[in-house]
Parts: sequence; structure tokens; C-alpha cells
Amino acid sequence: MNDGIREQLSAFVDGELPENEAELLLRRLSQDAGLRRDAAEYLAIGRMIRSEPGLAGADRLHEQIAAEIGNRPVDAAEHGATAKTSRAIRPLAGAAVAAAVALVAIFALQQTPGIDKPSADIPVPVANAGVPNIDVQQERQRQYFRRHAEASSQLGANGMISRVVTLRFVEDVGEDPRLDEADEAGDSEAAETATQL
Amino acid sequence: MRMTRSHVTAGLTVAICAAFFSASAQADRAPLDWLNSMNAAMRSTNYEGTVIRMQDGNAEALKVARSVKDGVILERVVAQEGNGLEIIRIGNEVHCIMPDRKSVLVEEWDEQSALFSKLPSSEMRIGNEYDVAIVRKERVAGREAILLAIRPHDEYRYGHRIWLDTETSFPLQTQLLSDGTAIEQVKFADISINQEIHASALEPSYSTEQFTWLRQSSGHQGTRIETPWRNDQLPAGFRAVGAHEETLAGSDEPVTHILYSDGLASVSVFIANNSGDLVAGPAYVGGSNSFSVERGDYEITAIGEVPAMTVEQIATSMQQP
Repeated sequence: MNDGIREQLSAFVDGELPENEAELLLRRLSQDAGLRRDAAEYLAIGRMIRSEPGLAGADRLHEQIAAEIGNRPVDAAEHGATAKTSRAIRPLAGAAVAAAVALVAIFALQQTPGIDKPSADIPVPVANAGVPNIDVQQERQRQYFRRHAEASSQLGANGMISRVVTLRFVEDVGEDPRLDEADEAGDSEAAETATQL
Repeated sequence: MRMTRSHVTAGLTVAICAAFFSASAQADRAPLDWLNSMNAAMRSTNYEGTVIRMQDGNAEALKVARSVKDGVILERVVAQEGNGLEIIRIGNEVHCIMPDRKSVLVEEWDEQSALFSKLPSSEMRIGNEYDVAIVRKERVAGREAILLAIRPHDEYRYGHRIWLDTETSFPLQTQLLSDGTAIEQVKFADISINQEIHASALEPSYSTEQFTWLRQSSGHQGTRIETPWRNDQLPAGFRAVGAHEETLAGSDEPVTHILYSDGLASVSVFIANNSGDLVAGPAYVGGSNSFSVERGDYEITAIGEVPAMTVEQIATSMQQP
């Protein structure tokens, strides 16, 4: 990966890359698996140097690359590279999740350094032989997160601010079952499908 | 009654002594006294102000107000960014208004509920897993505050810093710390304490008559169970505080949910049948980390507001029945 690409990546993550250049960059990244891997490594190293847990701009990059890739077949070699990466649990909306395998590769952009150190005497997390269903897994993770927030709040008091955070989660993905029911049934039928006041 | 010079002198002496002893008592208060008075202040203080929440390099502002009238808690939080989310509390009933969804979620909260939730309680085992210390006085939101540091004894949990209003013990700022770095922060940018709060500051901004009102369905917490799953390698201080069998939305398959706590931090472990779809390894949401691992016919996910190494250790050391 040359310096020009590095500069473009940095500018994109900072939101400073002109639109026409951003389009070209995304197209190149969507077509070149090797470049995606190099970009992932470059961004991960930068994040490590800055001691940043994540980058909002990098999230945007992931989503746009995912959208650019769409349903295009992806090199099978990309599958295994991310078996032990840290994934940000993000809203599904906006990400082209049809290309589930591609997303696995893109998650490499959010590697957490120093985490993939399996011990010898503990069960080792492994990549599945088949193609993992990212949609299902992300949805399950979100539900786990929400249930944990609810359960841990029962240990003490609920917090208004914490509830704002978990509701933001609901706002983004609509994963509160009560809201799903209301959406599916429509407002007029929600009274029948949900416990309405 | 006519005031004599001796009356005035005596009054002044009493006032000076009271001020002196008050200041002295404040300086001498033990950290645990501050925590106890903080918990009382969170339930009794009326306030109105602007809170800034910072996480992952992002900041959002929330307008907050709270008042107790005729023994009923009235509270409102309004997000200043995004879709205009509002939370209105009337007694123990809480309305989460989501204007973009034209929906109101109605929930029942207990009387202990307050603005902040992740603050230590008197049940926290100070001295075992954490130490608490008074650091210094600082100013927050224009008020004098005392900074308390809650420092974990190991790397399996986060530290906390809390700035308490010296006059009322109300928390003006909190930080969640990982290796000395704030990964989540909530602070008042401005606040008025124990002043009269106008009724409009506690009412919803939206007319919700046409909204869909949805009440938290009963039995959502699942069924309490005696689980055969165990963990002999939990980080020090963590213990199981509950186990439930739950069915999550969109799935018919029950999941075992075990909740571990050290009195301040908590970790949930979810055990489900192996779907074959598991993307094993770590993930995160803000200050919460998770770690997923396959174990035979099961997939295990640990998640909590603890460092990544903690959820990894807990997830990977769960033992099959």
C-alpha cells in the first residue's frame, strides 16, 4: 500500500477526503482484497498508537465498503483472517449485510490489539467451517447486550442515562420486541399484538 | 424581644463555630460516608440542568430535571441530539417516548432508580475488590466538588471517579476508567440544585395521544433456574447472583442467562445451543465488552462493563454440566 493510499485513508477516516476521491478509494477497496487487508492493518496500527478503542470514521468506512461490495463474490481467503477479531456491535441498517462473508473481512478493520491470545488449556475460539451468518450473530449480540443491561440494572437502580443509551440502541436497530411487534402490525393493530395501555 | 450585645456576640460565636465545625466535618468525612450520603442525595435532590455524556470520542447533551412533589418523583431526560428521545418518570412509572417511532414504552422502575445507575452502593465490597479514596476538591458545573476515586485491586474491572457536590453530596460528574483513561464520562455542564422547577420542565415535549403505547410485557425476565453450569475460575470477587432460562425475541430456543457480579461490575453469561453460526472472539459496545466461544454442543457469550480480559476469562472457563 503506497503513501498516497495511506493519506487518503487517513483523510477519509477524519472526514476530510473530497467526495470524488472518496468514491475512487471505496471502489478500489471494494475490488482489492489485499488492499482491504493492508488498510485494516494500517488503521489498526494507527488506532493502537493513539490508544483509541475505535474510530467513528472507520465505522463509516466499513459500512461504505460493505455497501460498495454489495453481493459481489469475495475471495475465500478473506474468511479465516478474522476469526479472533473484536467486533463493534453496530446497527445493521446502512450496512450491506447481504455480503456476509465480506463483512467478516471488513471486521478486521476493528481489530482489538492484544486480544487474540488463546490459552493452551481453555477452549479456543475457532472460525466456523461454513460461512457464519453475521446477521444472526449481530442480532443475537445486540439482544444479549440489551438483556445484560436490563439484568444488571436489576442489581441496583435503573439509571435514566443508561436507559437513554439502551434506547438509542433500540432506535438504531428497532430490536425491542415490543417495537417490532408494533411495526409489523401497524399502529392500528398494535393494540392486539402488544400489551397496550 | 430586644437583642442585647451579649446575645449578638453569642449568636456570632455559634455561627462561626457551626461554620468551622461544618467545614472541619466535611474535610474529615470518610470516603464511605460520602458514598452513603451520595446515595441518599440521588434520591432526595431536586435538580435541573444539562448533562454531557461522552463515550468513544462522541459527546451528546441531555437536558435533565427532577423534582419530588407530594412524595411523587417527577423526572425528565431529553436527548438533545438524534431523534428527540425523551424519558418521563412519574413515580415508579417511566415513559420512554420515541417520537420517530411514534411509540411510548412504559416501564415500571423501583424507587431506587435515579439519573445514574453505575454508581457504587453501600453493598459494594470496599476493601476487597476496590479501594475508595478522596483525591481532592475541584469545581464542576460552577460548584465545589470533592473527587472520589474507586480503584480496583486488579485488572479485571474498571475504576470509577466521582465528583460529589460538597454541599449536597449529589454526583456532578462520573468517569468509568480503564488503565487510567476515561472510557465513559457523564458530567453536568450546568445544574441548579434544590431550586423550584417549573412544571413544564417535567412534562413531555410531544403530544403522545396518537402514539402507540406499549407496556413491558410480564415474564420478560424468564424463569429462574438452578443451572448445572459452573465456573471455578471467576475473577476474584465475582459470584453468581442469578440464573434464568430466557427466550430472546425472534427465537424459540431457550437461552441460559447467568449473571455474575462483584458488587459493582456485572457480567452476563449466555449459553445457547450451538447454532454453527457463532463468530467466536471479542466484541464491544462502548464500555461493554463481550467474548464468545464454542464449547461442544453449546455457544457461550460473556458480556459486561468490564475489561475484555474479564469476559474472555469468564466465557472460556465456563464448565459444562
